[in-house]
Amino acid sequence: MSEVAFEPAALRRTVVEMAYAGSSVHLGCAFSIVELLACLYGRHMRYHRTDPRDPGRDYLVLSKGHGVMAQYACTLALGWIEQSDVDNYFKDGSRLKGLSDSHVPGCEVTSGTLGHGLSVGVGLALAAQRRGTGQRCYAIVGDGELDEGAIWEAVMFAAHARLDNLMVIVDANGFQAMGRTDDIMALGDIAARFTAFGFDAATVDGHDMAAISAAIDQLQSRADGKPKALVANTVKGKGVSYMENDNAWHYLRLTPPLYEQALAELGGRP
Amino acid sequence: MRAAFSRELANAAARDERVLLLTGDHGYALFDEFRKACPGQYINAGVAEQNMVGVAAGLAKAGFRPVVYGLSAFVPVRVLEQIKIDVCYEQLPVTFIGDGAGLVYSTLGASHQSFEDIACLRPIPHIDILSPGDAGEMAAAMNFALGHDAPVYLRMGKADLGNVHRQPPVLRRGELLQLRRGRHAVGLVATGSMLKTALAIADEIDASVWSAPWIKPLDEQALAAAVGRCKALVSLEEHSVAAGLGSALLEALSLTHPLPLLRIGIGQRFSSTCGSHAHALREHGLDLASVRERVLPFAARWSAA
Repeated sequence: MSEVAFEPAALRRTVVEMAYAGSSVHLGCAFSIVELLACLYGRHMRYHRTDPRDPGRDYLVLSKGHGVMAQYACTLALGWIEQSDVDNYFKDGSRLKGLSDSHVPGCEVTSGTLGHGLSVGVGLALAAQRRGTGQRCYAIVGDGELDEGAIWEAVMFAAHARLDNLMVIVDANGFQAMGRTDDIMALGDIAARFTAFGFDAATVDGHDMAAISAAIDQLQSRADGKPKALVANTVKGKGVSYMENDNAWHYLRLTPPLYEQALAELGGRP
Repeated sequence: MRAAFSRELANAAARDERVLLLTGDHGYALFDEFRKACPGQYINAGVAEQNMVGVAAGLAKAGFRPVVYGLSAFVPVRVLEQIKIDVCYEQLPVTFIGDGAGLVYSTLGASHQSFEDIACLRPIPHIDILSPGDAGEMAAAMNFALGHDAPVYLRMGKADLGNVHRQPPVLRRGELLQLRRGRHAVGLVATGSMLKTALAIADEIDASVWSAPWIKPLDEQALAAAVGRCKALVSLEEHSVAAGLGSALLEALSLTHPLPLLRIGIGQRFSSTCGSHAHALREHGLDLASVRERVLPFAARWSAA
């Protein structure tokens, strides 16, 4: 779909640069979805190379807005935002926020308050279905976000409306803000839950790009009127040794030595 | 008034295929005509209001003009965050209809009685709040809402008290409509179901009466010009006196033309007994006799002028 290389280590380096520049949190939330975004932008989504608002685009709804730095890394690679946006992250008067914001090019929804984006994505998918445009909507939700009742309202509506152009991608990193999802609101077999609600569902290693792509293709090849759910088993903080599966990196900020170590582990300075 | 709403909506949908009606499983019989005329433009989103508003936002982003119907106790109150984030932040053209506003559902109790809908929407940027008082104002309000490229909340009282305008009124955004011209120093500003009460009292003391179909925005200059000859005002609304019409008038006049203002509305209490709409109005001091008892002494203080 695109001549832009969405290389996971490079995307993570951008995240590290901007998190360090802005002293921002939510690194772990961004790192778990890097390969998912790289696959979507690099292989599956249709979009206009230079116009993120092109009316014929496929929609990428980042319902778990906490992972937005990973999306910024992709939109920087596309040139939809600028290097200066990254360098000036969180500076007074800057435009990129700490959560997905629909006023930023490439971001479809304003999220961070959870359980909103999926419903907006359902509306976008419904609009495409009604007009027969062939546009798809990919909505990335967190596993912690599945606590929200509104998610299941949206899931029921999508199945009832037979929105087979909708794919819900669950970033199943096993954590939410205060701890393990299993300890806070256990979800059990997430794919089975979606199946029970009338979706076609598959589970995949969310850091294996070949497997992600194959699973997306496989789900979309089923022309059965059912919306799709891809449960991506991921590692919160993936890619930097001291962040992986340490939920403190939902909130911690990079110190100079940890910043240097993260960059080194990700292949050096950009 | 509901018939006017239903008719205007059906006409708009027939004219414009972008108009979609979403209901949270409410509106029994109200949409029969609409469903017959435009079955493809009717979406019952189920008993799932949060998702309904998010879906409306997505549809509006993609170019549709959704009309979201609910009871004012649920839309906007239950979905305030969706209205704020999904709709108003992007200034999407979604029209929200809050039916049964005020004490209309007197027999159903606290869950369905709704006197906080205006208050909770007033601070949200980009949304207009309209409270039409009769069928004519409703038709004009619907026409405005469906042609406006930003969110609108339309408050609808179910109790139809008959028309107050002889001719179809022309609404101007943010302005009051004068219904009666009087010589008394005190003027009455009423909205929705309280217009008839205001007119009855005004006849007694020969006061001017304005209808307030617009609660937000209020044009401060036009407002000062309209009520500028009054020495004091009375506001009447079937809504909480906290952050409703009366509060909006006080705020809008505070710098340009400050006036003493008696707010008639619902206080800090829920209904304590069950009964008819008339009974509920009495319990909250909004029936004609109770309102008269409060307005007449207030008016008398200014009648020397």
